[in-house]
Amino acid sequence: ILDDPDLKDIDPTVLKHCHAAAATCILEAGKQKADLSAISTCLEDCKLDKERIEQFCTEYQKNKDALEILLGSIGRSPLHITDVSWRLEYQIKSNQLHKTYQPSYLVTLNVENSDSGSHPDVSFSCTMEQLQDLVGKLKDAAKSLERATQM
Amino acid sequence: CAFLKGKLNVAVDTIQHGVEGLMYLLTESSKLMISELDFQDSIHVLGFSDELNKLLLQLYLDNRREIRSILGELAPKLPSYHSLEWRLDVQLASRSLRQQIKPAVTLKLHLNQNEDQTARVLQTDPSTLLHLIQQLEQALGEMKTNHCRRIVRNMK
Repeated sequence: ILDDPDLKDIDPTVLKHCHAAAATCILEAGKQKADLSAISTCLEDCKLDKERIEQFCTEYQKNKDALEILLGSIGRSPLHITDVSWRLEYQIKSNQLHKTYQPSYLVTLNVENSDSGSHPDVSFSCTMEQLQDLVGKLKDAAKSLERATQM
Repeated sequence: CAFLKGKLNVAVDTIQHGVEGLMYLLTESSKLMISELDFQDSIHVLGFSDELNKLLLQLYLDNRREIRSILGELAPKLPSYHSLEWRLDVQLASRSLRQQIKPAVTLKLHLNQNEDQTARVLQTDPSTLLHLIQQLEQALGEMKTNHCRRIVRNMK
C-alpha cells in the first residue's frame, strides 16, 4: 500500500491506520460471520456515508467465501493425512533366514503439518491380514460418518 | 556348565563347544529349511550312532518353526502395524472463525518397532478417508491378480 502511486500524497501513518482499521473490521466481520446489515449498521455508527458503506459491503460480499476458508484454516490440529502410497513385495530370503516366501505391504501415509509445512511421512510395514484389519477399521469410520450425516 | 561337567566328567570347554556346535547345526538347518533327507545326509558324515542321528533329526523337526520365527525377527525392518483407533470429530468454532461445521476423523495409529510401541495421532477429512480406503483396497486386491499368483506359484 505504501508503494501505491495513487496514495502517495497521503501521510503514511494515516495510511497505516486506515489499513489496520479496515483489516480489523474485515477480519472481525469474517470471524463472527456477520451479515451485511450488521456490517452496515456498524459502519453507520462509525459515521461513514452511504456510498462508502455500499462499496465496502459489495467488496466484502465478493471475498467473503475466500475469507472464511482462510480463517477456518488457521489453527492447530494433529498432523493431517493427505495421501497414501503403498508397495507390495514378496519376501524370498534374508541373510538370517532363507525361503521366507511371504507377501508384505509397505504403506506410507503422506502427512502435512499446517504449522511448519514440513512433510513427516509415516511409513510402516504390514502383512495382508494386518492391512485387512486397517482397511476394515477405516471402513467402520466411514460408515459412522455416513450415518452421522444422515441424522 | 559346571553342573554338566560334574555329571559327565568332561571339560567345560568341550561342553561349550558341544553346545555351540549344536546351536550352529540347528540354526543353519532351520535357516535353509532343509528337508529331512538332507539333514540326515549332512549329519551322517559326523559319524555318530544311528540313535544319536535320530535324536538330532527329531530335535531339528521339533524346533525349526520356532527357530525360524526368531531368525525372522533379525531381518532389517520398518515399524510394523499393530492397530488403529479412530474417532469422529466436528469442529464447531475456533479462535479465528465462529459457527463452523467441519467434520474430521482423528486416528491413533499403533506401531511396533523393535519391541517399542509407538502411537501416532493423525487426522484426516472425510473425502481423504474415502480415498485412503479405495487405495488400500486396491493394494489388497493386488495379491489376487494373475501376475502375483504366477510369481507365488513359481517361487516355491
